[in-house]
Amino acid sequence: MFLTRSEYDRGVNTFSPEGRLFQVEYAIEAIKLGSTTVGIRTPEGVILGVEKRVPSPLLESSSVEKIMEIDAHLGCAMSGLTADARTMIDHARVTSQNHAFTYDEAIGVESVTQAVCDLALRFGESMDNESAMMSRPFGVALLIAGIDEKGPQLYHTDPSGTYTRYEAKAIGSGSEAAQSDLQDKYHKQMTLTEAHHLTLRVLKQVMEEKLDHHNIQLAQVTKEKGFHILTEEELQGLIDSMPAVPAPGAAAA
Amino acid sequence: MDHHPTNWGRPRDDRVDPYGTFPIHARPRPKEDAFGDAVKHTQQPIVTGSSVIGLKYKDGVMLAADNLASYGSLARYKDVQRLHPVGTSTILGAGGDMSDFQYIQHTLDSLIIEEFTYDDGNKLGPTEIYQYLSRIMYNRRSKMNPLWNSLVVGGIKSDGESFLGYVDLLGTTYQSPTIATGFGSYIAQPLLRNAVDEHPEPLTEEEALSIIQKCMKTLFYRDARSLNKYQVAKVTAEGVTISDPIEAPTVWGFAEGIRGYGAQTQ
Amino acid sequence: MPHQERRFNPYTENGGTILAIAGEDFTVIAGDTRQSEGYNIQTRYAPKVFRLTDKAVLAVNGFAADGNMFVQKVQQRLEWYAHAHNKPMPLKAIARLIQTMLYAKRFFPYYVYNILGGIEEDGSGAVYSFDPVGSYEREACRAAGAAQSLVQPFLDNQIYFKNQLPPPGGAHPRHLPLNDVLSLVIDSFTGATERHIEVGDGLEIYIVLAPNKSSVELERLPGVKRIQGTFDIAGDASPDVTAAAAAVGVTGEKMFVMRRELKKD
Repeated sequence: MFLTRSEYDRGVNTFSPEGRLFQVEYAIEAIKLGSTTVGIRTPEGVILGVEKRVPSPLLESSSVEKIMEIDAHLGCAMSGLTADARTMIDHARVTSQNHAFTYDEAIGVESVTQAVCDLALRFGESMDNESAMMSRPFGVALLIAGIDEKGPQLYHTDPSGTYTRYEAKAIGSGSEAAQSDLQDKYHKQMTLTEAHHLTLRVLKQVMEEKLDHHNIQLAQVTKEKGFHILTEEELQGLIDSMPAVPAPGAAAA
Repeated sequence: MDHHPTNWGRPRDDRVDPYGTFPIHARPRPKEDAFGDAVKHTQQPIVTGSSVIGLKYKDGVMLAADNLASYGSLARYKDVQRLHPVGTSTILGAGGDMSDFQYIQHTLDSLIIEEFTYDDGNKLGPTEIYQYLSRIMYNRRSKMNPLWNSLVVGGIKSDGESFLGYVDLLGTTYQSPTIATGFGSYIAQPLLRNAVDEHPEPLTEEEALSIIQKCMKTLFYRDARSLNKYQVAKVTAEGVTISDPIEAPTVWGFAEGIRGYGAQTQ
Repeated sequence: MPHQERRFNPYTENGGTILAIAGEDFTVIAGDTRQSEGYNIQTRYAPKVFRLTDKAVLAVNGFAADGNMFVQKVQQRLEWYAHAHNKPMPLKAIARLIQTMLYAKRFFPYYVYNILGGIEEDGSGAVYSFDPVGSYEREACRAAGAAQSLVQPFLDNQIYFKNQLPPPGGAHPRHLPLNDVLSLVIDSFTGATERHIEVGDGLEIYIVLAPNKSSVELERLPGVKRIQGTFDIAGDASPDVTAAAAAVGVTGEKMFVMRRELKKD
């Protein structure tokens, strides 16, 4: 008579009696399997950092791309099913360019985030007159970084199409530890370099492998230079300049 | 992929989108009719009415139009009413193609009936009818398929103010204390403006009727497509009234001496 | 003679003239209120100048039905933009929007000459002028419509100082003060009314002041009325509120309209 709970996780558009959409919740779970991704907002700009998992020495690490440009003033880092992010970023890029074409101004960070979330919600529907269906929610979360007239901003989007603004945010497998680390160390008046170092430090703490310039990717969005993915040389320089971290418990002593 | 959110998740046929929830600028147009090429659009009016005149006065607005519908230079129909009440506080006068005018009458009658069926106490006044007509006229001209009319809308607004506006086949609109269409814009408009604009106080009903009668008589004398049989409509706080056909007293004695009119042969 | 098909002409001209002049920290946008067709005056009051936002005013001239429809469509787009982006559309963005809207109808154009005036994001006065299919540029002044050929040379001489020698040892001023500009606008229209049959009846002058410009002098002039804006916070708002509002593009522009009679013959 009554459908059992498990039967409600079939359809992407069917609520359970408790009012939940299981497929969406499962999609959010999928992100927790993804690599750790960190974003930090400072008054000077926004930093994005990701861990690149390099399981084999034969893997060409530069081919792993988890930070992408949306527009000159907008960047995006991802965690989860990164293939899904391509569709979303493609949409964000087109939206941004359409805005620039129609209004002769750079699109706002929140507006482009909203555009991506509009797309994220369209699972289970057919797209326009195309016969293909978007059969499931996107299995990826994004950190969208950018600068507009409101200054540097960092947004987080998830598969439910919800977006939230953060000062600092971590997503992916190591996000719990990373987020509490950010909560401890983040302060509003951070310089860009401090934010770079904090990003590295947070990633280092949650990564299994030893952090080096091959297995992470860093990007920044600043007023002066816009979106920029750090080169391996720049990364190496940053890693070398990292201040020594006090041993656990040392600060307390 | 289609990157326009407004095109997402839409019904297959836009013509069955009863809620119209999509921003109009982004709506794809419905496909052209397969037989579209065989459809001919109005390129000229056939059976036509002449001038409509109207003015604002103390108690509301007054409109007049004669009862003639011409077929070219032939005075084809001589008992056509060109003044049409719309709802309880609006009057519509029309010149131009009479079949298009009848179509407009039906459209507006349906509109009023639909509004009545909602039974919510809301009434469509002259501003609403005027706006609606303006949209119809402009949209039809933009499809290169115009409704070949000059229309005058008069009435009393919900705030008690009087209203007088003009719409034509191009979608051109304007409001004014006096309006005269067609030949009337040359003959009647100056007379109306003399009476209304130069008068410090709003005209009384008697004064308004008298200037309307003077205009209609002058039009009959000078407009070859007019008839000395016309109706006068007024809209006041009491509602809409349309008079029975009126005939203006005319004098033709002077014409006997005019070559080509009287009995003389050469 | 070969058979000539009669074709419906969807356009007409409704006369009138519009004009805009940008100052350093203000812009003046004006138009007469006569609407005509041929030798007929249809009405003595049909506005051609419209407030779009707190800092943008659009004047439209040409085919009145197209003009009114175009203004309504622009206003609709401005409302959607404000909902989508949580800020009023900046002047420069309105200018580009108008171009795309005009060009979208390249093959059945709005038969309308547009002049957009207002205050830019940097606080400067600005005028953008358009042709019917969307070519546009930012200028210091522009006249359009029936009496363009009468008014524009006058402005070239008085605003750009064309055919005028600078005073010995000096230079022409880069910007004129508001009072001078208002006098030029009024003179332009009284002149055009004298010499052009399609211009007259009434004059509507919109004045947009940059956030920090005083309006005391302006408000003393006869027939000047302040227009309260939707996002208007000018005047007595606290610095906190002003700063917060400025962060989302809401600043203290002030808008006024000044009405004058023109000859009716």
